[in-house]
Amino acid sequence: MELIAIFISAVLVQNFVLYYFLGICPFLGVSKKIDSAVSMGLAVTFVMTITAIVSWLINNLILIPYDLAFLQIVSFILVIASLVQLVEMFIRKISPPLYQALGIYLPLITTNCAIMGLALIAALNEYAFLETVVFGFGSGMGFTLAIVLMAGIREQLDLADVPEPLKGAGIALIVAGIMALAFNGFIGMLS
Amino acid sequence: MATKSIKAEYLKGLWDENPVFRQLLGMCPTLAVTGTVITGIAMSLATAFVLILSSLVVASVKKLIPSQVRIASYIVVIASFVTIADQVLKAYFYPISEALGPYVPLIVVNCIILGRQEAFSSKNSVGRSFIDALGMSSGFILALLLLSSIREILGAGTFLGYQVMGPWFTPWIIMILPAGAFITLGILLGVALLIESKTKGS
Amino acid sequence: MNLSTRMILVLTSVGLISGGFLAGVATLTKEKIALNVQAEIEEAIQEVVDDAEVNTVLHEEENLVIYQETGKEGMIAGYAVQATGVGFQDKITLMFGLDPALEKITGLTIIDQKETPGLGAKIEDWDAFLKFWENRNASGPLSLRKPPVSDIKKLPPDEVNTITAATISSQKVLDIVNSSLERARKLLQQGKGETKEQDGNEKH
Repeated sequence: MELIAIFISAVLVQNFVLYYFLGICPFLGVSKKIDSAVSMGLAVTFVMTITAIVSWLINNLILIPYDLAFLQIVSFILVIASLVQLVEMFIRKISPPLYQALGIYLPLITTNCAIMGLALIAALNEYAFLETVVFGFGSGMGFTLAIVLMAGIREQLDLADVPEPLKGAGIALIVAGIMALAFNGFIGMLS
Repeated sequence: MATKSIKAEYLKGLWDENPVFRQLLGMCPTLAVTGTVITGIAMSLATAFVLILSSLVVASVKKLIPSQVRIASYIVVIASFVTIADQVLKAYFYPISEALGPYVPLIVVNCIILGRQEAFSSKNSVGRSFIDALGMSSGFILALLLLSSIREILGAGTFLGYQVMGPWFTPWIIMILPAGAFITLGILLGVALLIESKTKGS
Repeated sequence: MNLSTRMILVLTSVGLISGGFLAGVATLTKEKIALNVQAEIEEAIQEVVDDAEVNTVLHEEENLVIYQETGKEGMIAGYAVQATGVGFQDKITLMFGLDPALEKITGLTIIDQKETPGLGAKIEDWDAFLKFWENRNASGPLSLRKPPVSDIKKLPPDEVNTITAATISSQKVLDIVNSSLERARKLLQQGKGETKEQDGNEKH
């Protein structure tokens, strides 16, 4: 089934972080503890799924019919910025503890290349509505998977003897590279 | 705080505050398009274009924009220049546009650009903002040039498409894969920090 | 004016100015971009069909486009089939040529692929793979020759070379060609049948 293929592809085969290199900033910044990684991942998945829906609507109901495709970049990023604001206000109202937990991560999601990347790639592949939604959800899940795995490894790494210059981002990137290699094993899964 | 000389304003972007190696910004394109030198250069030039022009515009109109809507305005300005860069590439440099794929539009979320507007252009003169943008862009170009050179020479034995490694060399294919990008950048970051600590006498 | 009005005014102006600017750039570049996309297709056609001068789209469906090529004197020089299918890593788009009698494949070129760099990606420029697609039988499904031969004369006309270390990508290309070849043959033969019947007052 096409939809399942898109989902699995987004999570494993073409993982947003390890294949498309999207979402690196939060990936490096928020992956130090498993708890925060999970929260960030879920917040991102939520925003991604909604963005997928809204960007598809804007692209297919307004931009393309009126020959305004060149406004894709501007409209997508504005949509994302507004959505993040709305999500932030929404979470603040309905669940203050959750808002506290996510803290500064929410505004950071705006410049998360993963969200913009999602909107652009879905538009590039000309996915239909349902396909876009599944793709959005799947990419979010892929991001969450990568970031949680990374947090798990980094929590262990904290106890290891990492050379001084590599501490922090350096070793995180090298670990990410090894993870990317591992994920390479998923290529061809869907043939 | 003393204002820097023009020279210092420019040079800081190259090393002290190098956007990639020190500030850890703009990682996504750095990793994604540095498989070959030509795409690395093209991407960094496109980013420079957007950064410099956005900084000029923001510095020119900063007094007209109320603080509450400044982020939204910066975003529109940046997104517009990105769109222009994307269109021009598609029209006049089609093969490169194809190779860069969706990463040109992604310049709009390159933290370097929005970061500079917020941190510098909105608070400094047009002239200084221009120099700052120029410095940051140069630092970015250098970073991508370094990373893509390593990846292309070791990963394919070529530089800008020309064979530079003799037939005795078996390309390290991992360098062209995402894994190679991550690992190389990680090592380069480590090297940068090492040099930093040695020269500043930690 | 109060803050809210000013905010709205500023946002609207910023929006309008950028919008106008972008519309201008878009109009300037639109044609060139469309031409670029077309040029890519035409270049691919030139590679797989000899003497192709004029290019008409005969049939278009999802993942398959069939072009008819006419030569200098107006005779049919061949057909070009553009097909998209699933590769190892992502989709592959390719173009192969057919002779006017639908008996031989005249060439193959890869238009778009995202296979593993350095390995599967070789399908795009590995001469021992691409060149050896010329003069293949178009009457039935082809198969892979493993290990590849170095002399095209030694390759049976219903076989194509594999690329070592890229066997799966080679297989994917073959699968795409086989299935689209069958479909194209059916459609083209149908078309030819119709032309023969409606000699003189046809239009497709």
